[in-house]
Amino acid sequence: MNEAGQFEPKIVAYVCNWCTYLGADLAGTTRLEYPPNVRIIRLPCTGRIDFNLIVKAFEIGADAVLVSGCHPGDCHYTAGNYHARRRWILFRELLEALGFEMERIHFTWISAAEGRKWQQVVTEITEQTRKLGPYRSLYTNTGNGSLPIPQAAPAVDQPAGSEESLRQRCRQLLADGTVKVVIGYGTRGPVCVTKPEDVGRLVWNNQCSSNLTTYLKRKEARKLGRAAIVVKVCDERALVVLEKESQLDRKDLHVIGMACNGMGQPKCATCDVRVPRFADEVIGEVAPGFNLASAALRGGAALEALLAKPPTERMAYWSREFERCVKCYACRQVCPLCYCERCIVDKNRPTVIDPSPTVKGNFAWHITRAFHLAGRCIGCDECTRACPAGIDLRLLNLSLAKAAEEHFGYRAGINRDVEPLIGTYSLQDKENFIR
Amino acid sequence: MSFTITQDGLSKLVSEWLAQGKRVAGPSRVKHDCILYVPLQLSDQLLLEDFIRPANSLKEFLFPKHERLFGYRINGNGVELFEHEPTKTEQLLIAVRPCDAAALPILDHVFNWDCADEFYNRRRQLTTVVTLACLAHDDACFCTSVGLSPCAERGSDVMLLKLDRGKYEVRCCTEKGRSLMEGRLEPSEQVASNPLGPEKRFDSAEVREFVKNNFASAFWQSEGLTCLGCGSCAYTCPTCHCFDIIDEGNANEGARVRMWDSCQFSTFTQHASGHNPRENQPSRQRQRISHKFDIYPEKFGEILCTGCGNCTRNCPVGIGALSVLTEIGHGEHL
Repeated sequence: MNEAGQFEPKIVAYVCNWCTYLGADLAGTTRLEYPPNVRIIRLPCTGRIDFNLIVKAFEIGADAVLVSGCHPGDCHYTAGNYHARRRWILFRELLEALGFEMERIHFTWISAAEGRKWQQVVTEITEQTRKLGPYRSLYTNTGNGSLPIPQAAPAVDQPAGSEESLRQRCRQLLADGTVKVVIGYGTRGPVCVTKPEDVGRLVWNNQCSSNLTTYLKRKEARKLGRAAIVVKVCDERALVVLEKESQLDRKDLHVIGMACNGMGQPKCATCDVRVPRFADEVIGEVAPGFNLASAALRGGAALEALLAKPPTERMAYWSREFERCVKCYACRQVCPLCYCERCIVDKNRPTVIDPSPTVKGNFAWHITRAFHLAGRCIGCDECTRACPAGIDLRLLNLSLAKAAEEHFGYRAGINRDVEPLIGTYSLQDKENFIR
Repeated sequence: MSFTITQDGLSKLVSEWLAQGKRVAGPSRVKHDCILYVPLQLSDQLLLEDFIRPANSLKEFLFPKHERLFGYRINGNGVELFEHEPTKTEQLLIAVRPCDAAALPILDHVFNWDCADEFYNRRRQLTTVVTLACLAHDDACFCTSVGLSPCAERGSDVMLLKLDRGKYEVRCCTEKGRSLMEGRLEPSEQVASNPLGPEKRFDSAEVREFVKNNFASAFWQSEGLTCLGCGSCAYTCPTCHCFDIIDEGNANEGARVRMWDSCQFSTFTQHASGHNPRENQPSRQRQRISHKFDIYPEKFGEILCTGCGNCTRNCPVGIGALSVLTEIGHGEHL
C-alpha cells in the first residue's frame, strides 16, 4: 500500500549477474525511469536459480516474480540459460497443477545492452500486477470441490506357474553363487532371501504392487552382496533411469522380470507394457488378449479434472491435501529415484526447505519432491501408496510426466538410449513463455 | 439396567459443542479411501461405524504435529521474547478407539516427568474423551496382547457400546464424562455385551525379556533389513512422542516451535560431528521396539504401546511392530 492507501505491487526479480543485472544497471546510468516496485536479487545465472526461490518469494509477500537472464547463445557459462529454459518448461506445469497464478510469474531474456527493455518489462509487469491486485490465494483453502476417484484396473490373477518358476530360478541363482541375495516379494511385504532353502518365502501374486528397486539405494541391502531383484515392467523403468544417472552398474545386478497381468492399481489402468524388456530373464507370459491402455489415458480422469479447475480451486485442493501431511517422508523413502544420501529437506545449516509440517512447509516439501522427480518419475505410484494421509501425490508426478511427454516426447525409463531430460538441453526447446 | 444415547443424541452433542465455538474431533472420511481423526465442522462428518480405525492417531489433538512455544524478535543488541499462550478452547474427542484413548494416560507420564509440559497439560485438562468400543478388528489389531481390550476404559471419560438400532449404551468413567452426558441419557433395560477382541498374539513380558537380553542379536539385522526408514509408523502411533525443536523465522524475528520427530529417520541420532550411534536401519528398528517394551516400562512402569496396529497397517513394506513382536513371541528369533 502506498501513502494514498492504494495497492503497490511488490515484484521480486531474480536476475543473472552478467546480462540482466547489467541491463538494469544500464537503465539506471542512462536515467531511464521505471517503477520502484521491483526488488532485484542478483544470482550468477538463470541456470542457478533454484525453483524454491520462486515459491519463497511469494511466501514472503511478493505479488509477482520475474526471472531474467542472457539471451540464448549469450550465456557466460555457455549453456546455463538453456538448462534454465528446459527446467522452466516443466516447472511452470507443476506450478500450474498446484494452482499458482501463472500471470504473476514472468521470464525474460534481457542483455547488458537492453536497458530500455528492462525499463519496459518492469513497467509492464508492475502495471499488470497492479491490475491483478495483491496475491491472496497463495496456500488458501477456499472451496471444497473434490476430484474423481482414480479408477483402478481390475485385479487379475498372475500367470499360472510363475511363482514356482521364480522360486526354482532363485534357488538356482543362490545355490550356484550367481547372486548372494534375492530381493523379492513375500507374503507380508518385501523379503531378502539369502539361502537357497528359503526361496519358499518368495511369492508372486496380484498383491505384488510395490516397487522393490528402492532397495538398491539402501546400504543395508547393498551390504549383502550381488543381488537378484524381482521387477515388473513398471519397476524396471526405475532401473533404466538409475543406470542413466550412473547410480547402478547392471553387471552388479541380476534382474528377474515378471510378466504382469496388472496388480489392480490405478497405475495398472494406464499401463501400456506388460513384459519387462531389459531384464536378464523374464518369467511367465501375460494372459492372451489382455488390453493395453492407450497413451491418451495415461493422466487419468483425476488429473484432467484437476487441470480443468480454476487456479484458486487447484490451490484450495492442494492446501486441503497438504494440511494432512505429517512429513513422515514415506513418499521419499519408498521412491526408488529419491536416492540422495542427504535429502535437501534434512539440510539445516542453513535450512533450505522449511521442515515444519504446516501448510507452507508442506507445500515447500511437495514442490521440491515433485520437481526433483521431473522427467525422472516412472509413475510407480509408490509415494501415493505409502502416504498414511491419503494424499494423491501421483497427480503432481503425472502433471510433470504429461509435460515431459507433450513438450519433449519424453517418457522416463522407457528408452535406454535416450539421455535424461533434465541435465541436457536442446537449442530447439520452446520459449513461448519467455519474452 | 443401563443408560443409553441415540445416534441423533450424539450428533446433537457434537452440534451443540460446535455451536459454542468449542473444538470437536473424531473419525471422518476425508477421502474415498482414507479415514482420519480430524477436527469436525459439522456433526454429519462424524463416522461411527464400518471401519476398523482411523489411519492416524489421536495424539495430534494433544500433542500437535507443529506447535509454537514462544516468539522472539531481535532488536538492537537484545532479544525480546513473547510468551505463547496455551489454548483455552475446550475440545471433545468423540468416537475415539479405546487404543487411542488408552494412549493418553501413557503420554501423561512423559509430558510430566522432568518438567510439566504446560501446553500438553492445558490441552489435556480441556479435553473430554468419548470412546466407542470396537465392534470389529483386523489382522493388525493386537490390543489384547498389551493388556487392553476393545472396550478398555483406560483414558476415556465416557465409553459407548453399540446396542441395536442406532443406540449406544453409555458408561461414564469419570466425573468429566458424567457432566458431559448429564441430561442426555435415557434409562434402558438393554445392556451391551463386551465385544470380543483379537486373539492374543504374543506375551509382552517375553518380548521385554528378549529385548533386554538380545541387544546384539542377529535377529534385529534380519528384521530391519527391509525397513525403508520412513516415519509412518511413529507418526501414526498413538504413543510415539518424540519431537524436535527448531527456530522458524528470519534474521529479525521468528518462533521456537516443536514438531514431531521419529527414531526411524537416519538424522534422528546424528551428531554434529557426523557420527551416528545408530548407524543403520536395524539399529533404529531395535530402538523403537526396545523403547516401547523395555525402556519406557523400566522408567514409567508400563508398555508404550496400545496395540492399535497402525504401524503395521501404515508400513509401506509390511513390517510394523506386530510382525516383529509375533516373531519374538513365537521364538523365531532363536
